[in-house]
Amino acid sequence: MKIAPPQVWRNKRFMYKLIASKCEKCGNISFPYSPYCAKCGSKNVKKIETSGKGRLISYTVSYQSRDGYEKGLPNVVGLIKLDEGVEIVAPIVDVDLDKLQEGARVEATLRRVYTDSYNGLIQYGIKFRVAEDENR
Amino acid sequence: MDVYVNSSSMIPIDRYYEYDIYDLVIEAYKNLEGEYDVNDIDLVLVANAYSQRLNNTSLIAPKVVEKIGKPNIPSIKVDNADASGGAALFTAYSMIKSGLANSVLVIGVEKQSDFPSKYLYDVVASNLEDYMYYNGITTHSIAALLMKQYMKKYSVGREYFANWAVKMHKNAVENPFAYLRFTVDLNTVINSQVVSDPIRLFDIGARADGAAILLLSNKKVDTSVKIDKIFSTQAKYDFNPSLPSIRMLKERLGIKVNDKTGIEIHDSYSIMAALMLEELGISESGKSLYNLDNINVNLGGGLKARGYAGGASAIYQVAEAHMQLLGSFKGKKASVEEYFVVSSDDLGIVSYGINLTR
Repeated sequence: MKIAPPQVWRNKRFMYKLIASKCEKCGNISFPYSPYCAKCGSKNVKKIETSGKGRLISYTVSYQSRDGYEKGLPNVVGLIKLDEGVEIVAPIVDVDLDKLQEGARVEATLRRVYTDSYNGLIQYGIKFRVAEDENR
Repeated sequence: MDVYVNSSSMIPIDRYYEYDIYDLVIEAYKNLEGEYDVNDIDLVLVANAYSQRLNNTSLIAPKVVEKIGKPNIPSIKVDNADASGGAALFTAYSMIKSGLANSVLVIGVEKQSDFPSKYLYDVVASNLEDYMYYNGITTHSIAALLMKQYMKKYSVGREYFANWAVKMHKNAVENPFAYLRFTVDLNTVINSQVVSDPIRLFDIGARADGAAILLLSNKKVDTSVKIDKIFSTQAKYDFNPSLPSIRMLKERLGIKVNDKTGIEIHDSYSIMAALMLEELGISESGKSLYNLDNINVNLGGGLKARGYAGGASAIYQVAEAHMQLLGSFKGKKASVEEYFVVSSDDLGIVSYGINLTR
């Protein structure tokens, strides 16, 4: 069994939402959320939900998948700078590879990630797509 | 109290379909030579990263010591992913230095070739942060993003990175313990299969099966090489791109390289080789892979061509350094008086730096 429902439920802060930490001491924002700042160690940290919007810094097109992720090939994986300033790495979907450009505006979208055919479970997660207001 | 590597042993890295994980250790143990008495061993450390998922075995350390006929010697598995070997050496060194042990046998073993690569990638991806793991991302893609950022920053093309594979394969041809003992040219590397653009097949360390062993002791013998310094650092890579953990090692090790210095780095990807050489201060930023003939780096072929034995990698690296310093290495030799070994995980988050002298 690949999907454990309790794990998915527990991890909803990064699988269904983009909950990050904002340090009130040094200003650092880190994702996923932790009650301690990943930069200065302060526990004066505020939980924030990011907008899910950002800009594509770079991307890679991957032609080899992990076990169970074959259907998505080729996978596009983006390095994204969210508007809040934090960088994350996430899959990019609905992509026309000929038109995808670095610097494009992207937005988060909830998509199927993995299917556990043995148990009939589906795991969802946050991926990104080019935003409709990409030219902004 | 000084700490020495008194004996070293390894088997060629390869796909051993006929051997299980214990057989690999047994074969390496048969080759262990030098001045030591197994009855003096106080502790056995087993460096291994993936046996629970790839070999369906837990409690591997006591099973290993039983298989080599020393069932009553205390044993511990040390796991820090692909940096497990460095972590085991750091632990063994600390135990001897503190007087808790006089002699520690450090065994590195990894068996990675039983499953198709997509399953192996899944296991290795568990090293990534959880949110990446659950989204199906591979370590190859992270390395590809680092490589793209490097190419942009320094305006270099694919052929720049191909230099690493060409050099490593050239070195490996002479190494009887190497997995990929053949030469390649720039065109072969540049035109090899795209794995995660711009990472191609020849940019990736060749994962396979392997076992290597070191005997560490506080007794100096004729085959001793001294561990002068050993440090542990950790810091996440960033997409600047940089490897802060390696930069910290440079400061702590006080690296100064000349033609009598041997260097072993954890070249899990060609981009990691470039970043490590530059963060260690050995080469100029953006140019490290242009002048590889001027430094004694990864003389056995590195992870790229000697082979990538996962958590056992550092034990191979230090075994080679031990043999090079003794002048007994059977591959490409260099007349070296000092070695710097960098053990790391796939993406340079956890790193160990080891300085060895004759």
